[in-house]
Amino acid sequence: MATVAEAPGKEAASMPVSTPISTIEKPNEVPTNWQPNIIAFACHYCAFAAADLAGVMRLTYPTGIKVIRMPCTGKLDHIYVLRAFEKGVDGVFVAG
Amino acid sequence: MIVGQQKPIEELWGMLKDFKKIMVFGCNTCVAVCHAGGAKEAEITASLLRIRAAEEGVEMNIEHGACERQCEPEFFMPSIEKFKAQDVILSTACGVGVNLMSSQIGDMPVYPGLNTSFYGAVPQAGVFTEVCGGCGNCVLHLTGGICPIVRCSKSLLNGPCGGTNNGKCEISSEVDCAWYLIVERMKKLGTLEKLFEIQPPKNWGTATAGGPRKIVIEHIAELEEKEENKATVEVKK
Repeated sequence: MATVAEAPGKEAASMPVSTPISTIEKPNEVPTNWQPNIIAFACHYCAFAAADLAGVMRLTYPTGIKVIRMPCTGKLDHIYVLRAFEKGVDGVFVAG
Repeated sequence: MIVGQQKPIEELWGMLKDFKKIMVFGCNTCVAVCHAGGAKEAEITASLLRIRAAEEGVEMNIEHGACERQCEPEFFMPSIEKFKAQDVILSTACGVGVNLMSSQIGDMPVYPGLNTSFYGAVPQAGVFTEVCGGCGNCVLHLTGGICPIVRCSKSLLNGPCGGTNNGKCEISSEVDCAWYLIVERMKKLGTLEKLFEIQPPKNWGTATAGGPRKIVIEHIAELEEKEENKATVEVKK
């Protein structure tokens, strides 16, 4: 199972204060060199092991992705995802 | 237990958008069991409000906390200093918690984060059903342990009505006919003959129709008062 959630209102920081929410929700143009910051929550027994194997195989992925090993994705709480967005990640990847 | 549901974040934002310092305060008893207002949900609500504030470009300080029971002052009064530092408290307890906190923590506004729904059972995880109306005059011994006050859509004491339809209620095919359940249950218990006794009109004075209800267990209340007086005298000495 793998799901990707997008940061709510990622574009909000550059918007003027009085911008109504309907305007904020319109997707902005993405600059060509923009790299998203993604946090990946990976299950120790499958996705994290797969990431490990990928490392052994010398496969690479962008540096904007940070992997967090979990004992099981069942350990993932709503608040982990929300905290990640609050701290400014652009996407949360849950793999398990 | 008391079952509640979170208010939509849009409604909460409407209540809170003009405040700067907000404490979302949960209750770890009934509303935690129904995944609506425990410590976890209070933290989630606080986070969602912070994200909303960031989206709107509004500066807000939103904290979260919880106590074991908001329906007793002993549990939330230790946090009084934290409350005093806020502009508003968003309580994710049931309405009882909101009422009591509001009356105990001074001039601080206490807003409800939940819609308090009913007294419910948890027949399976994630399912909550209304099975008691808290009418103050229980008749479950006459009806096979099935409450006709809330489980019958018409609160009939001498049912079923003509709307019973293959075990379902006329208001919806998804709602069981309580009186069908009562008859089937009493057949099994061998007490069906009890239903031949016609129940007189119910005295609703013991329910909310009689105004706000209050129960005082005198010897306990008196003991508490004596202890408080003793403490006051000792402080004066």
